[in-house]
Amino acid sequence: MSHRIYLLPPWLRLWHWTNAALIIVLAVTGASLHFAGEGGYLVPFSLAAKIHDIAGVALACAYGFFVLANIVTGNWWQYVPKPPGVLARCLTQARFYAFGIFRGEPHPYPPTVEANFNALQAVVYWFIMYLVVPTVVVTGLIFFYPELAPTKIYGLDGLLPVAMLHYIAGAVVILFMVAHIYLGTTGVRPTSLFKMMITGWHEE
Amino acid sequence: MRPSTKSLFAALAFTALAAASGAGIAAEVKGAAPTDPALIEKIRKSNAECYACHTEAGLKNPPRADMDLAALTKFIHDPKQFDGSNHTGMECKVCHGQGYVAFPHAPEAKKSISECGECHATKALRVETQFEASVHAKNLKDAFTCQTCHDPHVYKVAAKVGDPRKIVAQDNAMCVDCHNSDLRYSAFSTALPTKKVRPDLYATHDWLPNARLHWSAVRCIECHTPVSPVKSLATSHEILAKDKSDKACVTCHSQDSALATRLYRYASTNVGADLGFANAQVLGSAYVVGATRNPLIDRAVIGLFGLTVLGLLGHGAVCVVLALIRRRRTS
Ligand code: HEC
Ligand code: HEC
Ligand code: HEC
Ligand code: HEC
Ligand code: HEC
Ligand code: HEC
Ligand code: HEC
Ligand code: HEM
Repeated sequence: MSHRIYLLPPWLRLWHWTNAALIIVLAVTGASLHFAGEGGYLVPFSLAAKIHDIAGVALACAYGFFVLANIVTGNWWQYVPKPPGVLARCLTQARFYAFGIFRGEPHPYPPTVEANFNALQAVVYWFIMYLVVPTVVVTGLIFFYPELAPTKIYGLDGLLPVAMLHYIAGAVVILFMVAHIYLGTTGVRPTSLFKMMITGWHEE
Repeated sequence: MRPSTKSLFAALAFTALAAASGAGIAAEVKGAAPTDPALIEKIRKSNAECYACHTEAGLKNPPRADMDLAALTKFIHDPKQFDGSNHTGMECKVCHGQGYVAFPHAPEAKKSISECGECHATKALRVETQFEASVHAKNLKDAFTCQTCHDPHVYKVAAKVGDPRKIVAQDNAMCVDCHNSDLRYSAFSTALPTKKVRPDLYATHDWLPNARLHWSAVRCIECHTPVSPVKSLATSHEILAKDKSDKACVTCHSQDSALATRLYRYASTNVGADLGFANAQVLGSAYVVGATRNPLIDRAVIGLFGLTVLGLLGHGAVCVVLALIRRRRTS
């Protein structure tokens, strides 16, 4: 316990775990809706629709909270990759995951109070949280009010592009989540980053 | 006659008979609309006599002074609707007989209106067998007839309507006009042994999310009738009791959706089929979660997910193994 810094305020940790739980629920029920009738391992359609609707609205609220809290606290600044040398730092970080991590090298950009995220993290989180998740939320809300979608598009039902966006953006969130959980085990010890997300303290 | 001539004659006669019945197929049904312009004009004139009174225009401008206009308001027809129906081009008198030609109409005129089966013998017989087994025919007795649902002046068979949304609107109106009207419903439910209050449609379907949306996109009969055992009929007329009605979402919300073979059996394929979508004909007018999906995109998404998981597991395994090797070296 040589070095300890306090990085994450309670609101952020609370939001993070709410968000995580909701996305797992949405992923399981969303897949059950999309692949309905394919097998017994899926949640029954009617139940899946009910849960997905409730969790979807909850996630939309959680996202609204996330955006507001980021503005109010100034935390949004963490998600902005700071030039110069963003690309170079991203490459260094990627090289670390591809090679350095196998040799037991230290993390190239350990978190500080000023820069919680390394450049690669900032870029990816920004992409997910400010592009992909809003896409899922907005298309999900249109799914609730299909009359908002165009009636017809190239002779096909206007809900098709909305549904495709929802499905593909949802899939991207799930892929991100899988990688995100895995990278969560690459701290000093496999559990230390998860501990940080609960206590708010980063340990080296 | 020598036997050979005899059989030649028989063959000729048979051919002539076959040709006659073959030519007759188009005009097989009694009263079918003619193609001869003179006959078309004759029918138009004949029907115009009825329309002189039985239209909004007739009601505003009655051709006679001695009519019960209050009674006439109940019998107003829209020629445009008739022209869009199955029976377009037919003469009113073919079904109504001579009793309505003169006014006042003959007192017994109503008795001589033709039944559906008089002209559609085969089809009506098949439909009737199914109809007799329906909750309506079994519980509501003779009050419930073909005309209760089918207005012969308005109804158009699904195969000719084409647009599935229009089919849904027409077919559901048949049921909703009664099941959403206390007045009409109670007029029929009096045939029941015990009085029955009309169940509210939205309350009895509260397990179905967004019932309003569903009822603009699918027909009541989709869930309330079995698949017709008679292949020549698109739908069964056997309305089942509520405990036998279909509650399974995946009947429609799955890749082998019943929508494709029932409501959408007449819909043509479209660009969706070229793009590889399942149930592409449905996609022409509705996106149905679980049904109108693209197996190619699905395979790509599942493949990507599998590769990601495998890749990460591999990465993790190499990390662990190398870490163990390093630890053994240092110790
Ligand atoms: C006087 C004869 C006659 C009577 C009675 C009659 N129809 Fe028809 N019907 C016709 C003719 C003629 C056509 C047009 C030719 C055709 O498409 O078969 C037709 C067409 C139809 C069609 C479309 C053709 C098809 O695919 O089956 C339906 C459905 C139909 N009638 C239903 C009814 C119903 C229901 C009734 C009773 C309420 C009825 N008809 C009474 C003569 C009649
Ligand atoms: C001069 C006006 C007039 C003409 C022409 C006319 N009707 Fe009527 N019809 C009436 C009126 C008024 C009633 C209302 C009831 C009554 O007074 O008999 C009626 C009632 C009816 C009814 C309902 C009767 C019942 O008891 O259910 C039918 C069916 C009908 N007409 C068919 C026809 C047909 C078919 C024609 C054309 C061959 C025709 N009518 C021509 C005025 C007319
Ligand atoms: C295919 C057969 C058929 C044809 C063609 C037909 N009718 Fe009828 N019509 C009926 C039947 C059957 C009824 C009785 C309906 C009932 O019992 O509710 C009826 C009832 C009526 C009624 C009284 C009930 C009401 O709701 O208005 C009027 C008026 C009428 N027809 C007018 C016409 C006129 C006008 C035409 C021609 C434009 C016509 N019909 C053509 C079969 C036909
Ligand atoms: C409870 C309402 C109801 C009753 C009663 C009813 N029908 Fe139908 N009928 C429908 C509906 C709904 C359809 C489906 C619409 C379609 O396929 O065009 C239909 C379709 C039809 C068709 C077209 C079937 C096809 O596959 O082409 C015919 C013909 C027909 N009905 C005749 C009759 C006859 C004859 C009777 C009386 C024995 C009758 N119907 C009674 C509701 C009813
Ligand atoms: C003219 C009125 C009328 C029309 C039209 C009508 N119904 Fe009905 N229906 C009734 C009545 C009255 C009952 C009650 C019968 C009973 O409880 O035994 C009933 C019963 C039912 C039931 C069974 C309820 C139970 O308790 O099991 C179903 C399902 C149903 N109708 C569906 C339909 C569908 C689908 C259509 C259209 C294709 C339709 N009805 C058209 C009047 C109507
Ligand atoms: C998605 C399938 C589905 C559709 C679409 C649907 N129903 Fe039903 N309906 C059912 C089922 C299942 C029940 C039995 C519900 C129960 O017992 O809880 C039912 C019950 C009913 C009952 C009996 C109510 C009672 O409590 O006595 C009537 C009447 C009825 N439906 C009419 C209609 C009409 C009219 C429409 C079209 C507007 C329609 N249904 C559309 C599945 C459906
Ligand atoms: C008879 C076929 C059928 C059955 C059975 C059916 N659905 Fe649907 N459903 C549809 C169709 C068609 C649509 C598309 C409606 C539209 O977009 O116009 C739809 C749309 C939906 C939607 C709306 C998606 C959106 O745009 O928000 C939901 C949710 C849904 N169904 C859930 C269910 C559930 C849960 C069940 C079982 C309890 C069920 N459905 C049973 C045909 C069906
Ligand atoms: C990461 C989160 C999410 C994932 C992975 C996800 C996934 C899915 C999938 C796969 C479907 C089936 C669509 C199809 O077959 O094309 C679906 C449907 C739907 N989604 Fe989502 N979704 C997510 C978040 C949301 C959110 C935030 C909302 C609402 C704000 C929402 C609302 C809906 C609605 C309304 C439907 C239609 C079915 C129903 O009403 O239950 N989803 N989702």
